[in-house]
Amino acid sequence: METIHRPRVDAIRALISEFLQSQLDEKLDELKEGDTKRAKLRLKFEYATWIDDAANRSVQIQAVTHSLKPIHPSAKGTNVYTAPSQLPDHRVVGTHCLCDTFEGDVAGNAAALDVYKFLKLSLDGRSLLDLAVAGDADLAAALTDDAEQARSWLDAFAGVAKQRGRPASHTLAKQFYWLTGEDAHDDTGFHLLAPLYATSLAHRVYQTVQLDRFGDEAKAAWEARKAGRFHPRPVREYGELAVQKLGGTKPLNISQLNSERLGRNYLLASLPPVWKTVAVQPVHGVDSVFQRYGRRREVVRLVRMLRDFLASDPAPNIRTRTRIDTLVADLLDELLHLAAEVRSLAPGWSQDPACRLSAAERLWLDPGAGTEEGAAAVPITDEAAERIAAGFANWLNARLRKPLPMGDPEYQHWRKLALEQIEDDLREAHDE
Amino acid sequence: MSDTDLTRQPEEPSNPAWLVLPRLRVQNANAISSPMTWGFPAITAFLGLMTALERRLGRGAGITLDGVGVVCHGFEPQVSAGGYTRSFALTRNPVGHDGSTSAIVEEGRAHLELTLVFQARVASPLLDAAARSDLVHRVAEQVAGMRVAGGSVLPHLADTPGGPHRRPVPELVLTPADEEEARKAFRRIARRCLPGFALVSRHDLLEARHAELLAATPGASRLDAWLDLSRWNHRAVLHPRPDGAAPPAPEAAQPADWQQDARPGWIVPIPVGFAALAPLHEPGTVAGARDPHVPFRFVESVYSIGQWLSPHRLRAPTELFWFAERPDEQGLYLCTNDYALHLARRSNASPDVQPVSSDQ
Repeated sequence: METIHRPRVDAIRALISEFLQSQLDEKLDELKEGDTKRAKLRLKFEYATWIDDAANRSVQIQAVTHSLKPIHPSAKGTNVYTAPSQLPDHRVVGTHCLCDTFEGDVAGNAAALDVYKFLKLSLDGRSLLDLAVAGDADLAAALTDDAEQARSWLDAFAGVAKQRGRPASHTLAKQFYWLTGEDAHDDTGFHLLAPLYATSLAHRVYQTVQLDRFGDEAKAAWEARKAGRFHPRPVREYGELAVQKLGGTKPLNISQLNSERLGRNYLLASLPPVWKTVAVQPVHGVDSVFQRYGRRREVVRLVRMLRDFLASDPAPNIRTRTRIDTLVADLLDELLHLAAEVRSLAPGWSQDPACRLSAAERLWLDPGAGTEEGAAAVPITDEAAERIAAGFANWLNARLRKPLPMGDPEYQHWRKLALEQIEDDLREAHDE
Repeated sequence: MSDTDLTRQPEEPSNPAWLVLPRLRVQNANAISSPMTWGFPAITAFLGLMTALERRLGRGAGITLDGVGVVCHGFEPQVSAGGYTRSFALTRNPVGHDGSTSAIVEEGRAHLELTLVFQARVASPLLDAAARSDLVHRVAEQVAGMRVAGGSVLPHLADTPGGPHRRPVPELVLTPADEEEARKAFRRIARRCLPGFALVSRHDLLEARHAELLAATPGASRLDAWLDLSRWNHRAVLHPRPDGAAPPAPEAAQPADWQQDARPGWIVPIPVGFAALAPLHEPGTVAGARDPHVPFRFVESVYSIGQWLSPHRLRAPTELFWFAERPDEQGLYLCTNDYALHLARRSNASPDVQPVSSDQ
């Protein structure tokens, strides 16, 4: 016989009674004084009656942390309820990161959701559902004095968090193979993986993003930024955030938490950089490719970042140097990209009279020009790479000079960073 | 060298090679890469394609594909423009057999242009250039009829970037045994991928940020670090005083500059595989499984940080490739890439190129 702690039993009873009273009051408010349904309602919300009814209805719902419905609303199969702390602590991000503070979700008949509300009542940080799953003797005693009856109700409630029946997937669910063996031709070397929707995890992400977008503190920080005033909270922006609607007009058909999110789920962007929107044009009408390069949006952005960083007078340490070199490397990436774009044009474009580029730049950007019929191949020289690198260093210094004193040491540094990249690029352009 | 000869004498392919499928144009690929990310398809989709391709070619083809590198040249998401958030075009599924409307399932789509580079091993008959050329033709044919991340492969058009004079031709290149030669051969492939961006793993940044957050807030999780790296953080910085004295304690009303944290390159949150939610079910024990002959497992997506970077930045071929790990004892099914490992080695050799792990 398990020991029963009377004060705890009383506390649970009080919790449940309070819940029933508030549910009843809510329902009564919807009815007129003197309506005959009021008496019926009061009967329904009598302690033992309601619990018996709830225990019966508990089979209609299931507590989940991972659900199938968001994958496809018509899919039927196994859902999973696992406390995040029970999952292995992987080195990547997943539901296990939620630890002890997580919101369980519930799927099933919306008409039985009040049963889940009841099971989420918590005492000392543990929900009635947790207690039911653990077979808590105090909860049993709080439900009824009839031990046998209590046990059967407890089992019914615990069943909400348990997997029911044989595990099942569905044709509308996602299922795919993962090669676990060495040989892709061996049919036995695979596992079939069926991903479920991590609804508790999605809920945490949703709440975080909501707070960062619409929370009072976040709004205050936004306003402070607009006014150029200090605020201790950072402003957080989720670029290219997408909203995925689950369940259409009936988000409750998916799950309780989905309904609380109004069926909206946030998807973070993992977009690749996209560098071109217009067709590539020959570099005509400018004296140097840097005139075109400097107008690229990403280049403008990077130069601004570099200039702001240098203007903030950062401490002269390795961190600062790395930051600067990283930004310059990004600028060089853009330059090599531009070169690759221009090289995709038909060779010989640099021989047009409209092209005013230097010989070194022509050699670099139009390597095929010299191979046209009748023309002699132009030999590449180290000088060409050096000229282009020097051109880059000059251009960058000019761009930064406005607010900052830029001199020879900076020039030499930019030149050094550029030279190796351009030498490689030039050589390989001619290797083809 | 014909295929039948190869089937008659099966041999474990052991000669390292690279298979390059340049400039694939894919229409309507799946742009919802996981329950929490959208944009470029998940790397698992390309590893799946790799396995499917190897199986289609058959054992007799004498080629094994071990890893895949993905370079994106173009990306056109089919989403709403304008406003703060993006939304996807809705699709109405066909009505049910009783005429009732089916549920709406939102699908995100994107048109892609990409180059796939596979780390391969080939059997000795493929040391012959003509045999490789035959195989490459077969590969191109197969891929044209396959789904790539749920999208269909379009034939190459003359007016696509790259131009008619540079028609992209698939290649099967033997990896030179000499290290320097191998490096050169790879650099040539990488340069052919320009302009474009390769996706590599920056799991190291997630770990570093997690450690930083933990130092400031005990109990901070990898999820917190992941979200922190997935957004732009702007912080208020007080104006320095003209006399050079330290600024006073920050107060809400003081004038300040707002600065955006710099990021170490173009980093993005990505799904990197799956974690088991339950033990492995024996073959045939799960109702509704599409294959009763293999073990079955319920899983969830897991996430890390990736970086898009220009392929010419890659110093070694292994920095490009993603591999599918066998499930570990904790039931983790992971896609891995070694770029960060190489980066760390490089920075040990020369502190000048240490990665910037944090801006705080």
